[in-house]
Amino acid sequence: MSHPLELSSVSKQYVSRKHRVDAVREVSFAVAAGEIFGFLGPNGAGKSTTIKIIMNLIRADRGTATIFGTPSTKAETRRHVGFLPENPALYDYMTGAEYLRFVGNVHGMPKQRIRQRSDELLMLLDLLPAAKRAIRSYSKGMLQKLGLAQAIIHDPPVLILDEPMSGLDPLSRVLVKELIVNEKKNGKTVFFSTHIISDVERVCDRVGIIRNGILKAVKEVAPLLREGIEAYRVRFAEHESSAEQEIMVSPDDLTTQMVAITSTGGTIRLLEPVRKNLEDFFLHIIRED
Amino acid sequence: MKNILRITILGIMRDRVFHGITVAALVFGLVPVISQLSMRQVTELALTLSLSLTSFLLLLLSVFLGGVSLWKDIDRRYAYSILGLPLRRSDYVLGKYLGIVSFILLTATVLGIVGALFSYSAIGVYPPNRPVLWENYVYAIFFDVLKYALLVSFAFLFSTISTSFFLPMFGAVCIFFVGSSSQEAYNYVNSPEAAALHPAAKSAITALYYVLPNFGAFDFKTNAIYSIPMDYQGLMLTFVYFCCYVSIVLGLAVILFNRRQL
Amino acid sequence: MKKMLLYLLACTILLAAVIPPFVGYQKQKSFAEQLGVVPRGEVLRYVAADQKEFLAASVVLKVLIYFGGRSQALPNQVQLPVDYPGISRILHSAVKLDPRNMDAHYFAQAILVWDVKQIDVANGLLEYGMRYRDWDFYLPFFVGFNSGYFLKDYEKAARMYRRAAELSGNPLFIQLAGRYLYEAGRTEHAIVYLTAMEKSTRNESVKKNLRTRLEALVAVRAIENARDLFASRFGRQPHSIGELVQRGMLSSIPHDPYGGTFYLDEDGSVRSTSKLAFGHLNQPSTEVTQ
Ligand SMILES: Nc1ncnc2c1ncn2[C@@H]1O[C@H](COP(=O)(O)OP(=O)(O)O)[C@@H](O)[C@H]1O
Ligand SMILES: [Mg+2]
Repeated sequence: MSHPLELSSVSKQYVSRKHRVDAVREVSFAVAAGEIFGFLGPNGAGKSTTIKIIMNLIRADRGTATIFGTPSTKAETRRHVGFLPENPALYDYMTGAEYLRFVGNVHGMPKQRIRQRSDELLMLLDLLPAAKRAIRSYSKGMLQKLGLAQAIIHDPPVLILDEPMSGLDPLSRVLVKELIVNEKKNGKTVFFSTHIISDVERVCDRVGIIRNGILKAVKEVAPLLREGIEAYRVRFAEHESSAEQEIMVSPDDLTTQMVAITSTGGTIRLLEPVRKNLEDFFLHIIRED
Repeated sequence: MKNILRITILGIMRDRVFHGITVAALVFGLVPVISQLSMRQVTELALTLSLSLTSFLLLLLSVFLGGVSLWKDIDRRYAYSILGLPLRRSDYVLGKYLGIVSFILLTATVLGIVGALFSYSAIGVYPPNRPVLWENYVYAIFFDVLKYALLVSFAFLFSTISTSFFLPMFGAVCIFFVGSSSQEAYNYVNSPEAAALHPAAKSAITALYYVLPNFGAFDFKTNAIYSIPMDYQGLMLTFVYFCCYVSIVLGLAVILFNRRQL
Repeated sequence: MKKMLLYLLACTILLAAVIPPFVGYQKQKSFAEQLGVVPRGEVLRYVAADQKEFLAASVVLKVLIYFGGRSQALPNQVQLPVDYPGISRILHSAVKLDPRNMDAHYFAQAILVWDVKQIDVANGLLEYGMRYRDWDFYLPFFVGFNSGYFLKDYEKAARMYRRAAELSGNPLFIQLAGRYLYEAGRTEHAIVYLTAMEKSTRNESVKKNLRTRLEALVAVRAIENARDLFASRFGRQPHSIGELVQRGMLSSIPHDPYGGTFYLDEDGSVRSTSKLAFGHLNQPSTEVTQ
């Protein structure tokens, strides 16, 4: 089966009178069904440009983006997609509930289902008190959460979110991360962009790192975290009564050290991996050239 | 398309446009008063004033709504969220267009009824030269609506190629005035008085006459004001002309909007 | 806050100080200034878009209001002169904008032909209007009268009256076509015409203007009748109106509503020092009164 989302050799250059900006250069990747894919890069890296190309808001100069194998220039592909734009702007004369109803109608959902889903999401995202207020009166964070609600109201198999956590308070960040993980549990595919490394570390299966429009690396997050172990912190006591000692052991020596401690009657109180974290990896890739 | 149409009308309503129209419509209260000043044609003057005021308000409405609607969606990035939905861009453009035209039709109906009531109050006291043909009054307003529907389509066309609202707004105003007098200019060119005109100028005006919309053709006010019988074949032809022209302009607008990078 | 209030107060006082001279200035503006310059109708048509009828109606109303203001001055006020050529130009524009506007035609006919005597211009406009208001008997009626009374083109007058009769079915026009179209019937012709005109307007200023003229013509007719009676009785023309009174042909010398004095000129025609118009008496008169 074709991938929920696939880009092949996508390039985009912005041309204005004086400047040419290569916003995206030959970017190719595929997101597998049921995975959470983090699209990580500093400001101005080309994340939003890539996402706009996927959503057919702008046209790529070269290359194609496909959703389940269909070019994303076709409007019907967006039936399977829930999209949250960067700093979403929603018709501010409507109320939150009205906007969700409108989006549900566009997706052709039955009335009953729209009401049910919208109540559910407004409750989940803590927007219920504001549901009947004009969007005009929403704060940035509320707008972001309503944008997320409208993206998932029709329960799409693919979510494309441009900086879903930006502008949120810590509590809401957790809420949104949980929501993303939950979507994955329900078998959905999530593609989201961010410039915050910890967002990726916690929730993503894979991460693509983009800089200056070039996709530098696509890595699985778990092995990266595993590979990243540089040493183990071992805390032990030589006898029941003696004071605790702490040593750092390299991964290669771990087994021999453990044997050495336990064979002399010592007890291991703590064993903790010391990692070179994703941040270092990220910075390493970003600074490569 | 239906959904976009609905929220477009909702948006216009929520922006209190109708309140503005209602306030402006208070001016209709002056119609009976001013028409009293006429010596010989009180009813005709009342009808003139009603139809003119209606047409003027519709002009403001179509320039404003037509010029701002698309531009605002793009400028404020509402379009990102909307076009991220499974909507074809053509449905989005046409939905917005139909929303505005529906609103103009609604306004025209309300203003038409108000104007008719005020004009009617004049007839009782000062009967007109010839009995008023209310059917013509309805035609005059209906064709006014068509005229402004055509104008809105131009505003949309300009919106699709412009990043500011100046072009759509001022472009619409310009094309309205040029299109309203193109028939006059054409008639002039083909009259004996234009003999001195350079042939190149003549052909330029003639060419423009065929290309530009002929808004003057939609003006049936005289038929309503002076109870001149309608030429139904002419009405039909004008209607067909409208359909063809508006289809072309909207088609162009959709094509251009499809290519537009947001 | 206090500063703001002070600022507003100062501005209000300034405005209050400016208003009286401003209003005075607006009042003393001449008619041309009051109305602004109305461009020629042929030009206006190009910018009027779909508001031609409205523009025409509004300039006509402006003229009416101006005329009303000028002609209804109270007795103790100075009667300001009426800018008839200005009115004429504007009505011309109005007709070119909306050839069916009856107020423009009517006003031009009721006021301009008498007071400005631009008969050819008036007929030109009326005949232009006739092409559009093809159901209305008033326009051929007007052209007929102008041709018969002022231009003495009796043939055209008869043609126009017949057309008016066809359009209206009113026998008055058949009468007009035959009976008064000769030199001696001139005054009678005008009286019949003015009576019909006076009846068909609602505007008080215009009505008043027509009534005054009617009154003057009735007086002229009385003198003419007395003169003709005198001639048939004595076989010669009277020397003066006084003579007519002396011989009992007239009970008294009729009053000229324009403020002038009637007299008989050399060929026996009835004339007045007012020339049957306001505003002639204050100028040094070159008339020789008999
Ligand atoms: N409409 C535009 N016109 C010209 N340059 C643009 C436009 N939009 C984005 N850019 C440039 O393209 C690059 C990538 O932008 P973007 O995709 O928005 O980055 P980000 O990764 O922060 O989302 C930036 O250098 C930005 O300045
Ligand atoms: Mg971005």
